[in-house]
Amino acid sequence: MPDDDIVLKVEDLYKSYGKIAVLKGISFEVRRGETKIICGPSGSGKSTLLRCLNLLTRPDKGRIWLEGEDITNRNVDINKVRQKIGFVFQEFNLFNHLTALKNVSIGLEVVKKMKKEEAHRIALEMLKKVGLSEHAHKYPAELSGGQKQRVAIARALAMNPAVIFYDEPTSALDPQLIGEVLEVMKALAREKVTSVVVTHEMGFAQTVGDELLFMCDGKIVERGPPMEIIRKPKCEETKKFFQRIHELYARETR
Amino acid sequence: MSYIVEISKLMVTVWDYLPYILEGVLWTLGLVAGGLGIGFIIGLPLAIAQVYGHRFLKILVEVYAWFFRSVPLLVLLFLFYWGIFPALGYKLDPLTCSVLVLGFRSGGYQSQIFRGAIQSISEGQFVAARTLGMSKLQSIYHIILPQALRIAIPGWTNEYAIILKDSAICFVLGVMEILTRTRYVVMATLEPLLPYFIAGGLFIVLTYGGTKIVNIIYEKAKIPGLIGRM
Repeated sequence: MPDDDIVLKVEDLYKSYGKIAVLKGISFEVRRGETKIICGPSGSGKSTLLRCLNLLTRPDKGRIWLEGEDITNRNVDINKVRQKIGFVFQEFNLFNHLTALKNVSIGLEVVKKMKKEEAHRIALEMLKKVGLSEHAHKYPAELSGGQKQRVAIARALAMNPAVIFYDEPTSALDPQLIGEVLEVMKALAREKVTSVVVTHEMGFAQTVGDELLFMCDGKIVERGPPMEIIRKPKCEETKKFFQRIHELYARETR
Repeated sequence: MSYIVEISKLMVTVWDYLPYILEGVLWTLGLVAGGLGIGFIIGLPLAIAQVYGHRFLKILVEVYAWFFRSVPLLVLLFLFYWGIFPALGYKLDPLTCSVLVLGFRSGGYQSQIFRGAIQSISEGQFVAARTLGMSKLQSIYHIILPQALRIAIPGWTNEYAIILKDSAICFVLGVMEILTRTRYVVMATLEPLLPYFIAGGLFIVLTYGGTKIVNIIYEKAKIPGLIGRM
C-alpha cells in the first residue's frame, strides 16, 4: 500500500498495438504537489502513457494506483476514477456548442450532479483563475488558441482533480500564444497542483518541474531534476534530443 | 367567346371543390408529421447504435436502413397494408398504416442523416467528455447530440421535402390526402387540368413553407463556429 503522499503510482506498465510495443515497462510515482515533466522524441509513447493512466486505453500489463486505489482492477468504476484526473489536450477539445462558462461547468452539473447555480459559480471562479472571466459567455470559436487552452485548464481544475495531465498543451499554439498558457500552468504548479506534463517547453520544465522523465522507445531512459538532465544528459538519446531542441530554439531566437 | 365561357364555368366548379381539396392539406400534413416523427424516433437511436454500438447492432441497423431505402414506397405500402400487418393480426386503417410505413422508411433515411452528422464531430469531443468522467451515454446526450442535431438540420430539411412529396403515393390506399381528393374532383368534373395544377401548387406551398420554418429553427439553433458562419 503506497503512502498518503503519493497521488499516482505506476508499476511496470506495458502496452502494445498489434506487434508494435509502445510502452515497455514504465514505472514512476507522483507525489502530492509535484510537477512531473515527461519528454522524449515523438513516437516514444508519451501520449499513450497518459491515455493509459486514465484508462482511455487499457494497458496490457502493469498496475496504476490513484490515491492508493488500484485503478487497473476491473471492478473499479472508470467514470469515478476519471473525475479525479484532469486532462488537458494538445488540441484543446473544448465542447464547441457550449460557452466557455458551460464548458467548465458541465462536468460539475452532469458528473458531480451539482446544482446549476453552484456549478456556474465554481466555473466562473475557475475562469477567473485562468484570467478569462470576461470571456465566460463566448463560444470556443470566438476564442484564440491560448484562451481555448486556458478554458480547458479551467475545465480540468473545476473538477478538483487529484492530478492534472497535460498532453503537449502548447504544441498546437502559435508561438505568441504559448506564454499565456505557460504562465497559468506555472501559477498552478506553484500552488502545488499535482500535475504530469508532457511537454518540450524546457523553460517551463526547468522553472517548475520537480522531476523530468525522459522517454525513449517505450521506456524511461533517464530521470532526475530537469535542470540536470537538460544541461548534462547522461544517456545518448537524451543528449541528441536536447541538442536538437537547443538548435531549434537558437534558430528561433536568432 | 365560347372558350372563355367554358373556362369560367370550369372555374366555378373548381371553386366549389376547392375547400374539399384544401382539407386534404391537413391529411397530408398528418402523414408528413407522423412519418417524420416516427422516422426521428427510429432514426436517431439507429444512428447512435450504428456509430457507438456493438458490431452486431451495427449490422442490424445497416440491414434495416438498406431494406427501407431499397424497396419502393409503393411496394412497402402494399406489403405492409395487405401483407405484414394482416399477417401479424392487425387490421389497420389506411392512414395509420401509411403513417407507419412512411415512418419506418424515413427512419432508415434519417438514421443515415444522423449517422453522418455524428461522425462529422471530432473524436476529441467524445474523448474530452469521457475524461471528465461522463459515461458513454452522458457523453452522447450532453456533448455529441446537441452538436450532431444542429449539423443534421439541412439534411433533415431535405427529408421533410422528400416525405412530403412521397406522401402523395398514399393515395393508393385511399388516404384522404391532397392527391386522393384531387382525383375525386377530376372524376366528378371530368376536368383534369386545373385540379391537378392546384394539387401541384399546394405541394409547392407546403414544401416552401416547411423549408422556411426549418430554416428559422436552424438560424435560432446557430452557434458560432459550429454551424453557419461566424
